[in-house]
Amino acid sequence: MTLTSLTGPTTATRRRRTWRVPPTVLVSFLVVALVVGWSVAPGVFSTQDPVNGVPADLFAAPSGAHWFGTDHLGRDEFARVVHGTASSVSSALVAVAIGLVVGGLIGLLAGFLGGLVDTVLARFVDVLLAIPSFLLAVVIVSALGFQTINAAIATGVSAVAVFARVLRSEVLKARSAVFVEAALVLGGSRWHVLLRHVLPNASRSVVQLAVLQFGLSILVIAALAFLGYGDPPPASDWGLLISAGREYPLAPWLVWAPALVTIVTVLSVNRISRWLRKTD
Amino acid sequence: MTGYRGFALRRGGQAVVVVLLAYVFTFWVISVLPGDPVTTTLRNPQNGFTEEEIARIVSYYGLDRPVLVQLLESLGRFLTGDLGVSLRSNRSVADMIGEVLPSTLVLAASSLAIAVVLSFLVAFGVQYLPKPFSTALRSVPSLFLSVPGFLIGLLLIQVFSFGLGLFRAIDTDGPVATFFAALTLGIWVSAQIAEVLIANLDHEAAQDYAGVARSRGLGQVRLLLRHLLKPSALPVVTVLALMIGEVLGGAVITEAVFGRTGIGSLVERSVASQDLPVLQAVVTLAAVVFVVVNLLADLVYPLLDPRVTLQRRPEVGAAA
Repeated sequence: MTLTSLTGPTTATRRRRTWRVPPTVLVSFLVVALVVGWSVAPGVFSTQDPVNGVPADLFAAPSGAHWFGTDHLGRDEFARVVHGTASSVSSALVAVAIGLVVGGLIGLLAGFLGGLVDTVLARFVDVLLAIPSFLLAVVIVSALGFQTINAAIATGVSAVAVFARVLRSEVLKARSAVFVEAALVLGGSRWHVLLRHVLPNASRSVVQLAVLQFGLSILVIAALAFLGYGDPPPASDWGLLISAGREYPLAPWLVWAPALVTIVTVLSVNRISRWLRKTD
Repeated sequence: MTGYRGFALRRGGQAVVVVLLAYVFTFWVISVLPGDPVTTTLRNPQNGFTEEEIARIVSYYGLDRPVLVQLLESLGRFLTGDLGVSLRSNRSVADMIGEVLPSTLVLAASSLAIAVVLSFLVAFGVQYLPKPFSTALRSVPSLFLSVPGFLIGLLLIQVFSFGLGLFRAIDTDGPVATFFAALTLGIWVSAQIAEVLIANLDHEAAQDYAGVARSRGLGQVRLLLRHLLKPSALPVVTVLALMIGEVLGGAVITEAVFGRTGIGSLVERSVASQDLPVLQAVVTLAAVVFVVVNLLADLVYPLLDPRVTLQRRPEVGAAA
């Protein structure tokens, strides 16, 4: 008991220094790399046509030729999933970018300027938090029009509040640190201190949040596509594929193949985010 | 007690401000974003509005006047409790919401109840099951958080309706169907509560007082019930209040998957027909529910937890 409690902290610090990556995190990185590959060069991973089917192969069960089976038009489901990756994943990136930039800016200004600016921005963030994020996304996408890019924008706006909150608290934490005080006393301008000292220190937890939001955004965009608020068919966003597959209960692979891809991707992204938080 | 009264008044005032701003914000989102859905809906021959009715609706909403005037008038109507008229059915929005609200409230309440039960079961399991099971259970919340909510619903329908025939997918408002719809939402919500609960129990179990209690010979179960449960479970009140928003948003998906009528399906229909007054009212209503529930949670919390002090927390740095 005493021995473990004595050696506990030292092994922990050593492990942190050598940055050992657990195997599950390695697998997660591989999954994410594969998904990125699918979205960058879908043709490399699947040579079959995602839009025009072979009428002779309707509803073929998963096999060596068609890994995820085929759909009601004889299209290869794997090809459709792979070709739908770009829009499913890159729209999640757009959403995170919007949340990060807009929310980050709000949090940064509120935390750094304080006073009236902070009070006003804090109320604005309260308002964004008070509106259920999925409902907000639905309303925004319905005002902008049913397209995947609009679903991404809507998802991004609904994530603004979270980023603003985290960045504000990080900035407040950094602002009270001695080195920031020193930089101000040495004559550094407010903006210099903000950009060179406060921001780099806040970035750690923001990166981890961005990864987490990336996984969440994939889910929200899939849900919006599922409701039909994304690009219409023949686009093959993952949520749309799941929704379309529902029509054919006798071909369950049309639901489970894209569903599993979504789950495994989000699970991997979340695992990476968790690991980042632990190594912090 | 004056401290508490001051705190309550301040929090209440904030809540009112947030609700009003939420109304203005939704109005802004709906009216500033490109597109002129109001006139397109009104002029759509399928909706069968006569010229006279169109003129009446246009003047009711002041659509021929500047946006700011429209906003002030609409805010004035909102303050007197008038939620407006649907552009699609020409009916009072308050009536339309009133019709579907009970169904969604039942869904939301039962899903929250299910979420609480599930999350406590998972958290206790993590603490007290033998090693391989507890480690496996520990990863359950993050697994649930990675599964789209609509998939859980599809799976439940597939297994329990089509497979086991426990309920008919068409009979949407029956108690069994409601239970599975609530379970769909509840599983997702429980994951977030369970994460907090597991972390809190871990934290409390490692505290000195828990060690002292253990060394005095207190059994695991009594230690949990007498000492660990209260400090770990109290923050759940706050998390639960925050989850209200997720439940209301998730209702849109869950009601679509289970084919239920409710606020969610009303939103879906209004989105499809660009029925903006209905959307505006539903979003504001959701914000009101969220703000009121969180206000109650904040007001109750200091009474439940004696450690919470009501002095304004000094800004970080001022104390250092």
